[in-house]
Amino acid sequence: MPSYRMGIDIGGTFTDFSLLEEGTGRIRVLKTPSNPAEPEKAVFDGISRIFSEYAVRPDEIRYFIHGTTLAVNTVIQRSGAKTAFLVTKGFRDILNIGRHRIPDVFNFFTELPRPLVPRSLVFEIPERCSATGRIVRPVDREAVRAAAADMLAKGVQAIAVCFLHSYRNDENEQAARALLEADVPGLYVSLSSEIWPQMREYERGLVAVMNAHVGQKMKTYFSGLAKGVRGLGIGAHILSTKSNGGVMHVHEAGERPVDTLLSGPAAGVIGASFVGAAIGLRNLVTFDMGGTSADVAVIEGEPRYSTENTVGDFPVIMPAIDVTSIGAGGGSIAWTDSNGVLKVGPMSAGAKPGPACYGLGGIQATVTDAYVCLGIVDPKRFLGGAIDIKPELAEKSVAAIGKILGLDALESSESILRVATSQMYAALVPLLARKGISYDDFALLPFGGAGPTHGFLLAREVGIRRVVVPLHPGVLCAAGSLAADIRRDFIRTIHTTMQSDTESSVVTTMRNGLEALSREGRAWLDLQGMEFLDQRVSWSADIRYLGQSFDLTVSLDAGVLADATGAVLRRRFNEVYEQVYGYKDEAAPLEILDVRATAVGVTLKPKIESVAMRGDGKRGEATPGRRRVFLDGRYWDAQVYDRDALPSGARFKGPAIVEQYDTTTLIPHGFAVTVDRFGNLIGEAQDAI
Amino acid sequence: MPSEKVLLEILNNRFTGIVEEMGYVIHRASFTVFVKETWDFDSALLTPEGEVFCYPRNIGVTNMLGIDMGPAVRCIDHLEPGDVIVTNDPHTTRGMCTHLPDIMLFKPLFFGGKLVCFAWCFVHSSDVGGLVPGSIAPTAYDRYQEGLTIPPTKLVKAGKLNDELLRIILANCRIPEQNWGDMKALLAALNIAERRIGQVVAQYGAESVESGIRGLMNYGEHRAREILRGIPDGEYRFADYIEVDFVTKYFVRINVRVVVEQGNLLLDFTGTDTQMRAAMNLPTYGRPNQWVVLGIVNFLRTSDRALPVNRGILRSVKVHIPEGTLLNPAPFVATGVRHTTGYRVSDAVLGALSQAAPERIPAAGAGQVAIVLYSHLDSRTGGYSVNVLQPMQGGCGGRPTKDGIDGVNFSAGSLRNVPTESIELEAPIVVNRYMLADKAAAGRYRGGSGVIFEFQSLAPNAIVTARGMDRFKLRPYGRKGAHPGSLGETLVNPGTAQETNIGKIDILKLNPGDVVRITAPGGAGYGDPLDRDPAMVLTDIENGFVSEVEAADVYGVSVANGRVDAAATKVLRERLTNHPSTEEFVFGPERMEYETRLPHAIQDLVAELLAAYPAATRQFLRDRLYARIEADAKLRSQPAAEIRRGLFALLEEAMAQGKSAMAAE
Repeated sequence: MPSYRMGIDIGGTFTDFSLLEEGTGRIRVLKTPSNPAEPEKAVFDGISRIFSEYAVRPDEIRYFIHGTTLAVNTVIQRSGAKTAFLVTKGFRDILNIGRHRIPDVFNFFTELPRPLVPRSLVFEIPERCSATGRIVRPVDREAVRAAAADMLAKGVQAIAVCFLHSYRNDENEQAARALLEADVPGLYVSLSSEIWPQMREYERGLVAVMNAHVGQKMKTYFSGLAKGVRGLGIGAHILSTKSNGGVMHVHEAGERPVDTLLSGPAAGVIGASFVGAAIGLRNLVTFDMGGTSADVAVIEGEPRYSTENTVGDFPVIMPAIDVTSIGAGGGSIAWTDSNGVLKVGPMSAGAKPGPACYGLGGIQATVTDAYVCLGIVDPKRFLGGAIDIKPELAEKSVAAIGKILGLDALESSESILRVATSQMYAALVPLLARKGISYDDFALLPFGGAGPTHGFLLAREVGIRRVVVPLHPGVLCAAGSLAADIRRDFIRTIHTTMQSDTESSVVTTMRNGLEALSREGRAWLDLQGMEFLDQRVSWSADIRYLGQSFDLTVSLDAGVLADATGAVLRRRFNEVYEQVYGYKDEAAPLEILDVRATAVGVTLKPKIESVAMRGDGKRGEATPGRRRVFLDGRYWDAQVYDRDALPSGARFKGPAIVEQYDTTTLIPHGFAVTVDRFGNLIGEAQDAI
Repeated sequence: MPSEKVLLEILNNRFTGIVEEMGYVIHRASFTVFVKETWDFDSALLTPEGEVFCYPRNIGVTNMLGIDMGPAVRCIDHLEPGDVIVTNDPHTTRGMCTHLPDIMLFKPLFFGGKLVCFAWCFVHSSDVGGLVPGSIAPTAYDRYQEGLTIPPTKLVKAGKLNDELLRIILANCRIPEQNWGDMKALLAALNIAERRIGQVVAQYGAESVESGIRGLMNYGEHRAREILRGIPDGEYRFADYIEVDFVTKYFVRINVRVVVEQGNLLLDFTGTDTQMRAAMNLPTYGRPNQWVVLGIVNFLRTSDRALPVNRGILRSVKVHIPEGTLLNPAPFVATGVRHTTGYRVSDAVLGALSQAAPERIPAAGAGQVAIVLYSHLDSRTGGYSVNVLQPMQGGCGGRPTKDGIDGVNFSAGSLRNVPTESIELEAPIVVNRYMLADKAAAGRYRGGSGVIFEFQSLAPNAIVTARGMDRFKLRPYGRKGAHPGSLGETLVNPGTAQETNIGKIDILKLNPGDVVRITAPGGAGYGDPLDRDPAMVLTDIENGFVSEVEAADVYGVSVANGRVDAAATKVLRERLTNHPSTEEFVFGPERMEYETRLPHAIQDLVAELLAAYPAATRQFLRDRLYARIEADAKLRSQPAAEIRRGLFALLEEAMAQGKSAMAAE
């Protein structure tokens, strides 16, 4: 009996399915329109279609993974529960003050993000815990009860609690919850000390507020999903993707929906790193270009994590795969300012009305319209023919821009691409500098609907010499989640100082903290009731030189902490610091802020399908034809290949176009492509670019 | 090759990528905490003539776009590939540097033997010697007290480091290793810029790049003129003050006349008060200094979100700044705290410009930032341990279409605050309160509320300082009938018998148990409160910024049982409209009272008369004159010519006294 893994990714426009046959590693993909009102319906319909189209039986599904943007959209649209916030007296404006910085100081009309909880629903509670974790004042019970009564009157549906220093002692937050559960039973309550016990009241409180805001909705959604999937006869574990690139059970996702906020972009990067690992490429810049934006991430063996991510306008401090937007997507609109200078974005035609060539009412030229005019995208084969492209509308929209620029439609189209690409340069190059990466030995891995179309152009602009286009770039998110591990992060703030003299107590404190977190992590893994290839808990700590306020997360192993004098730890920190900042300060005392543990249950990795050597691998074997493509100011006679028919070992040179169900790849002149044994297109710059 | 206009955008994007990459290189590689925390550094690309043609949007201090490097470049006889020039000298650079801690480096970039452009960057060094650690003392009265001055000199000559110069620099500051670390970060950024510009030149050719640079400057100029042409021609006057209480009880006036003529702007600062014997002076050398034009830059960028960020946008701006004034002091005065002055110059310029473009400029915000520092004797090391408690800013002014932002304002909007939990871990204090003030200046669009920070000090021998406090005596101005903002305030032991209002903090010594409550100013409102949407008033009541009484009395909004009573509101508003407030600017009682004692006409006259006397004597003379005028209401009421004669006599008398005193000595 064959067995399968099913990955589902619900996006704003499409719900993507990928079905992996475990024995052969073969992946099949399906895209269906999303159903924003009832997202689970699109899921159930798609599953039924897969069952019938591919003759798969429910009991053959061994692994079921699901990713959704429901939580993140709820936060961005503020469409979650009416939420109240309990804080320590004197700190009513934690959410209003935030971290102070004005997002755009050059705009007199700029806005700070409107808090998820208005000031009128913030309740100050007399209570206090000291910085050392001592309860100086217990919770004022009457104040909580009065707040509860007020909440009832105001129709509050969810409550978040963040008291000062609760990361160190959660007694008062727990006491508040007990009182709330007695007085306003049934409300969704999130405690900051439970969701993410890290020092910093704004960020910790915000995590609790977001969790409360989306909580009930997500809980209801996940339980409905689980019920429906079971109803279809699927008995496998039902897992949800997470911002940290891992997965968890959906029942936990209902309790900690905040962990799913950044899961969408994360899954794609996990997929990319899986592809990279399979072909032995450690250093990758991933480039996910969709309809409205282009996002990048860095992989160095493992994806980079960041604790400075944002959702909408809000910071999220829990570790998440570090994904940053660098500009335009396929739907970004081209326009000219009053001086006739060409700009692209940030306005986007989105999915509706979409680019002009969709013929759905859009009239402004977009990046996609430029692709169509230049001959890069075949109007008949766009998204496997799912959308009927009208080239004459693309041309009309671009001609309007061209009139202002004094250029014809072809030149204007190319100008749109060049401006879009140079904008990506302006964002990507500083971004890599910020991460301390000199990208000489990095490859670009494009995915998403437009990533492969634009990837080579970006690589050329930035000076990246190698481009890897995976086999299924349009559904890498859904496919990536099939390779994800069960993963959860734990944190404890210990905040202690290590002077230059030996202080074994510091190392002991760290080790005790980490061991406690490890126990928590192992217990959590056991709770999953799954079989793992391997279980591990890795350790790290946030450390800085005393007096600084930016810290580095340094990974630790038992060996580092075996040395009770702390000398090994200090050496390790100095090394990492020097790597990042280019110098070190051997005499400076260290401040250890937090210890962190990540529990990972390693799942069985799917096999990747080897693309058979079909035919003799000669050029032209898989050729639907040739096409004239306009690029770099002239026409080229480009060979067009059908991706599904391209055998491994095939080689060809740009200019060329590779077409497939979920995307189109453009290879400009100056690049040579080899198809590897997994079907990836490996493009190499032939000379100086 | 793409068309010229397309190439312009492409090159602008490439250059933007390069200056921002420079910024991140500096941020990563620099050493001092201050640099990393506050982003007090910057980078840019400049034309061979020394004008900025590309400037970062997302990193750095964000207020240096207006620098003019021409004078600094002309200090160097012969430039060759591999040179790097260092300077922090306001005098020889004619105000490119405005205070000594800003250490600036620049490098000429040659391609094919030709100078294509300069790369430039700076960091604010945490110490360049001088009177106090950190080199900035508000009470410093000449530049020699503020540290080491480095006129433009080659730090690297044709690729070779000038060790001798470096040794002299590092021997004159308290943190030589850190300064050298920061300078190395700057050198790394300059090298990156050279490499990247080289790639652009290789791709597009030096000629295209050079013409692209010129094209970008013209493009910027053109866009700016277009915006400025949309402003009605005319003359617009305004004045605002800074409070330099520690050297004079009279406010220091910044007077400006903005002349708009067919897309050209003149900022004429005639009538601005004399230079100060304190570190508030802004050394512009009479040129359109970056601080003087900052308000204009922000106005232009607000008006066009896609404006190219280069100094071309300032080609239409001219200035006139008389010598010997606060904004064009004699060489070698102290300038360490010039940012307080700079913020107020913006308030004054925008106040004038807002008369021409009222729908595009907000009312005044807090216009200040005070960095509250707490130091205490560390019993373990025996030394003083210093912590930043909080940067206290205060609220934004109300805006023509929306409320002001609470708690922060545009002057220091890029600063981050410190979590209370972090402060309590680092310093021996307990924070009692850190929240917005429960009030906001009324207006159709209300002002952003101020911020309150209250803490109890636990350590013996604790000292609090907070340089940069202002708007403690004169409020941020309201616009079009709105209320002015609220004042800053410092209370020690509030609510007890020992409560004292100490005004601005200079050096505040605390005993264990003492409580300090600092309130940062609130921004002013915009537009008549009677025009405010009653629903917004109700929201403010719910959120605790407005009381029901204030809603009725000031906004004319009647609220009952949590709802707006529309009928009662109509009646209230009709009744209140009998006393309409149509004032263009609302300054508040303090300034009105001050200006009855010292009317603008008299201040103008004094400024004019003082111009004939040596700059260094003017502050003394001004204060003497003001004291006599204040005391003599009869003098004020005389005809202008009489007043002039009277004042002149007073001046001569004061000078004679001074001369005879010196002779006697």
